[in-house]
Amino acid sequence: MLNFSLDVVTTAAILFIVASGLLMIFGVMKIINFSHGAFLTVGGYASMIVTQCGLNWWWSLPFSLACGFVLGMLVERFIVRPLYARPLDAILATWGLGIIVGQIITLAFGRGVQMVASPVNGALHVAGAQYSTYRLILVAVAVVVVLVLGGLLNGTRLGLQTRAVIMNEALARGLGISSSRVRFLTFCVGAALASAAGTLITPLSSVDPNMGVPWIVGAFMLVMVSGSSLVSLALACVMLGGAQVAVSTYVNPVLGGVTIAVLAALLLRLRPEGFARG
Amino acid sequence: MNALFSSFPFSVRTFGARAMLAASMAAAAHAALAAGTVKIGVPVGLSGANSVVAPSVVQSAQLAVDQINAKGGILGRHVELVVADDGSGAAGAQKAFDSLVFDKKVNALISMETSAARNAGLPIVTRGRTPYIYTSFYEGHSCNRYMYVDAWVPDQQVAPVVDYFMKQYHAKSFFLIGSDYAFGRGMLDFTKNYIEKHGGKVVGNEYLPMDGSDWTPIISKLQAAKPDALITSTAGGAPNVTLTKQLRAAGVKIPYGNLAVDEGTAKSMGPDAQGIYISGSYVTNIDTPANHAFLAAMQKRFGADLKTPNDLSVPEYEAIYLYKAAVEKAGSFDTAKVVPALAQVSFDGPRGTIRMDKERHTPLTMYLAQVQPDGSLKVIESDKNVDPGDQCPHLK
Repeated sequence: MLNFSLDVVTTAAILFIVASGLLMIFGVMKIINFSHGAFLTVGGYASMIVTQCGLNWWWSLPFSLACGFVLGMLVERFIVRPLYARPLDAILATWGLGIIVGQIITLAFGRGVQMVASPVNGALHVAGAQYSTYRLILVAVAVVVVLVLGGLLNGTRLGLQTRAVIMNEALARGLGISSSRVRFLTFCVGAALASAAGTLITPLSSVDPNMGVPWIVGAFMLVMVSGSSLVSLALACVMLGGAQVAVSTYVNPVLGGVTIAVLAALLLRLRPEGFARG
Repeated sequence: MNALFSSFPFSVRTFGARAMLAASMAAAAHAALAAGTVKIGVPVGLSGANSVVAPSVVQSAQLAVDQINAKGGILGRHVELVVADDGSGAAGAQKAFDSLVFDKKVNALISMETSAARNAGLPIVTRGRTPYIYTSFYEGHSCNRYMYVDAWVPDQQVAPVVDYFMKQYHAKSFFLIGSDYAFGRGMLDFTKNYIEKHGGKVVGNEYLPMDGSDWTPIISKLQAAKPDALITSTAGGAPNVTLTKQLRAAGVKIPYGNLAVDEGTAKSMGPDAQGIYISGSYVTNIDTPANHAFLAAMQKRFGADLKTPNDLSVPEYEAIYLYKAAVEKAGSFDTAKVVPALAQVSFDGPRGTIRMDKERHTPLTMYLAQVQPDGSLKVIESDKNVDPGDQCPHLK
């Protein structure tokens, strides 16, 4: 039972880390960034480059944040910005971008699976159970992400402007808030978060050109039911991630793989606002 | 998207020195005029799931054809390789086989492919009456009048691992984990039967979809079941790596047999792979003159571009020589004569003496090896002439 609870908590933490970048972008821009998987992949390769240079694995976190931020700047300026008024075209454009980034990575590093050494190995003894140290670290990381993003949104002027844009973009612009600057910065932060998430999952995953793909559907569904609130995303991760672990443990891991998608679809049917408050 | 391009076959010129290219092209054209060329079709997954291993398969085919041409070809005819991308799947394979058999009119098909691609290609092989040597290990029991297999089936691979765990670690209870697809399930179904037949117990048998990457609930079940040993059969590449990493991160230390890891992957996985047991019909450090000669020739032919020869590429090399031997025994390229001859000939290759005489399948020497801390493989035991069992009892 203890193991099961730990599985639920750590799975929710990983889902939250992976989905938070997508949520940032969706919240402000109302655009689903389908290149999210490619940003995850970029983060995975960033950690591979860092470890191959002989640096400590933890250096890959700042490096991948920087890579994601810079990539986000370019993508926002040249691909997303011209498509603000056409959200459907933006979905197609980001989807295409994901394919292009994947192919560039394939050309540069090959199709094969790359290895990144893990920063920590082995298991911790938690109240009699033995549990993966790294997964427990990820819970702490998820908490840090919540605190930092929460602080950014609620404690800074940029956060205030961002919330204003989320609530009513036309009104915010009328008040003199540069919504294009808010959109630009949000996209960069979202891309940086996605890239950092890619780095954070490398100790649990392989690094290959398609490493981001399995995460997209789950992250997408979680964001759909969370609207634009970090708190509802955290709630969605615990509830749906918990359901996934429960189904995988007590029914069948193959069914567990579709749990999040099915439950999210059902939830949106019954309660269109999902976990968000109205 | 792959399917768009996958039916595009291209010839791989198989001449040695580049300076000689023009001259030998003229010579080849002359030879072709004199006696015609022999075309060997190689449908292989240059894109898709097999794209990591396919280049090594094409390389060993090139070496075999080069060597054969240097010694006068097959029955005096120059051999030409025709490689086609099958996209690692059924749709691509149909186009690739169709194009090779009916458009390029190849004399034989010799290739390593996914089971899906093989199954899609077989009706075309039957219609085109083309001899076909399948050179990939697979889940077994695929039978066709024109097909031979010179790689292993579960009956040959699984037994050494289970036997060793039972003998060495006195393992009684086993936990099985796999990817949810034909090969993964086929391997573990066989493993389960084999364990139960030999007095062991399977305390868990779990699958994750092929694109799944979170093994957490399965690992928790494994730890709750407290088995003596673990055997896995995932899809190659990413699933194998994620599972192994997560097992190590969770502190799983029981004996671990991996039915799907190859030498190259084990090598690059580093410390995570240490201690894993693997079983196969080829490892690079087989200490025989034939293997040393093969590795030296590969090194000389491809230099820095060499893809490490492996359990999927070496059978391709041997199969081309087996086809040559069969044609020479039959004294003709006629399918009706070549197909029965394929069961009668043998070739001394890197894996030993290969003879496809057991219901279209091949008794093989199997190696049980353990991954060392530096990523190299240490052969723990080898079993000579492991029988493939009854694969195609109804084929004549």
